[in-house]
Amino acid sequence: MPFGYHGCYLRIDVSSGTSERMPLPDAVLRQFIGGSGLGVKLLLDEGAAHVDPLAPEAPLVFAFSPLVGSPLTTSAKFAVVGKSPLTERINDSLASSGFAIAGKGCGCDAIVIVGRAPELSVLIIEDAGMHLEPAAEYRGATCKETETALKARLGAGFRVASIGPAGERLVRYATISHDGRHAGRGGSGAVLGAKNIKAIAVRGTQRTQWAHPSELTALSRSLSKRSFGPATAKYRELGTATNLLTFNRFGALPTRNFQSGTFEEAASISPEQLSATRSKTRKSCMACTIGCEHIYSHGGSGVRVEYESLFALGSLCGVGDADAVLRASQRCDELGLDTISTGGTIAFAMECVERGWLDKGLDKGMDAPWLKFGDGDAMLRAIELIGSREGPGDLLAEGSRRAAHVIGHDSIAIAPQVKGLEIPGYEPRALQTMALGFAVGARGADHNRSGAYEVDFSDKVDRRHVTLDAVRHAIDTEDKAALMDSLIICKFLRGVLTDFHAEAAEMLRNVTGWDVSAAELRDTARRIVSAKRHFNLLAGWTPAEDTLPERFLTTPLPNDPEASLSRDRLDALVAEYHRQRGWSAAETALQKL
Amino acid sequence: MQVEFFGVPRQRAGISVLELQADTLGQLLGTLAVRIPSLGEFITVDRLHPTFVANLNGDKFVSDPETPLGEDDRLLILSADAGG
Repeated sequence: MPFGYHGCYLRIDVSSGTSERMPLPDAVLRQFIGGSGLGVKLLLDEGAAHVDPLAPEAPLVFAFSPLVGSPLTTSAKFAVVGKSPLTERINDSLASSGFAIAGKGCGCDAIVIVGRAPELSVLIIEDAGMHLEPAAEYRGATCKETETALKARLGAGFRVASIGPAGERLVRYATISHDGRHAGRGGSGAVLGAKNIKAIAVRGTQRTQWAHPSELTALSRSLSKRSFGPATAKYRELGTATNLLTFNRFGALPTRNFQSGTFEEAASISPEQLSATRSKTRKSCMACTIGCEHIYSHGGSGVRVEYESLFALGSLCGVGDADAVLRASQRCDELGLDTISTGGTIAFAMECVERGWLDKGLDKGMDAPWLKFGDGDAMLRAIELIGSREGPGDLLAEGSRRAAHVIGHDSIAIAPQVKGLEIPGYEPRALQTMALGFAVGARGADHNRSGAYEVDFSDKVDRRHVTLDAVRHAIDTEDKAALMDSLIICKFLRGVLTDFHAEAAEMLRNVTGWDVSAAELRDTARRIVSAKRHFNLLAGWTPAEDTLPERFLTTPLPNDPEASLSRDRLDALVAEYHRQRGWSAAETALQKL
Repeated sequence: MQVEFFGVPRQRAGISVLELQADTLGQLLGTLAVRIPSLGEFITVDRLHPTFVANLNGDKFVSDPETPLGEDDRLLILSADAGG
């Protein structure tokens, strides 16, 4: 067994309350590393692609990595991997902090959960084993309430990941929360909720050894020192929210359900304005030297503010009231809702109301004539209804794609999603390499699995008129993301690493003892991306899914006529992407694995 | 011409817009380093530190110090890692 690993995963059946340690061959670990890569491999082995993601037999994987527990900055991370109830495709969402260290401390490289507990339960995992405890007293509790109560009851050594009311009610974009962070996208919280698991508490003392401890310590010190430098200043000083005014200037800030790329009230919800009017604190995940979390005071407590939350609950819904946006972000965190899908689905509904499609006539009280762009109170009301699945909230809890199929009127053309996953805060017509990244993303439209926006904000392409030359850049960012999500290290380190693959290989060499090279890691990244595609193929993927909603392909941005992306151009980019991936046909993709 | 600052560059500069005259990008950056010393650590002679990028009029990202600038141009200076 290589250093850095336990060489096994813990497979837990919560129907019977039993567990089994399953061996992980060295070759599998080297081919898929950990995190997202290992998670996808385990899902494939479990045959998860063919299963209803909310069925008892659907596996949900919590995957750690060889770097977890090492002194490398930002390495305390874990991946939650499963079939998404929102997209019916692969879903890997990552979160940070002590759960990763305590979970790996239980003596396993991953935890695979199958089955459905007979009653709402807490799954408790320790060195000695696992057991289930009733969780009726936590029913309806927020993520934070659950985590706080369980830590008080079980002891401070436990780390807790939990779902909020949204996960209990199977909202298709419910999150799993830990330490104020969320494995946010794709509805992992609903998968856990379908298993009747309110929370997982882990405590373990088993540590893995490192192959070259002194070299690893030296590398860790160097990396930490560099992480205090200018390459991460943005995250330390303003956080991701600093994108807001930048994107607005470039006409790339999605506004009113992607009807515009600029928001006239952007300044009022910008971090610059929030900093000027509120107190602010910073927080780091465990084992992180960057400290990107910026927490603003609001109503006697603090609200973590990220760009994606500001855009989704602000400009996308046309809401310029900072108090309403902060409260909405806070409620999403409490209820356990993905802010991007929440904002995207509400904004879609707002446009449907505007067009007269959701103001009357729908069954089961789903009409919502009060849901208007710019109305912060209406947005907050919608969030509560989604969290409780009441009235129109029951429809919106399904996400924009499913809601569009119920609403009709060809509203699918304006549903802001790819493969069912709501689009993050990057206007595809203004950032066309990112448009390609969204279209081909295995888990749907996503800025964490494709960093193609970096290419658009560089001199490598003309962001509003990209050519086929952009494809190789998009592939490169997707491969890098797959590797970072499998190692796992935070993407905010990317500017710190001058030679990404060489430095990643050095990390892995020092931890595992493998004689791994940069070239091998490039192959590993491609293998992991292919494995995700393979999962999707087995789940029913067709080439027609690799596209964008019709709105983006037929309507230029009104404020920027040059920001126009035709269907022919996107199709050509996608075809070239498939060609360069070697996926000219579905069968080819299967063979390449 | 006008220079617009975003994100960390704006925070360091302490202003969002500045009026300057320069014929080339290199000249402009050299002048900026003198006028706003807090930006100095991000400017090496006539080039931006790799963590910052410059964009001309919201259209084209530029880095060559010889890039010509016109009177009506607007140069945007922002963090290189523009994403989330």
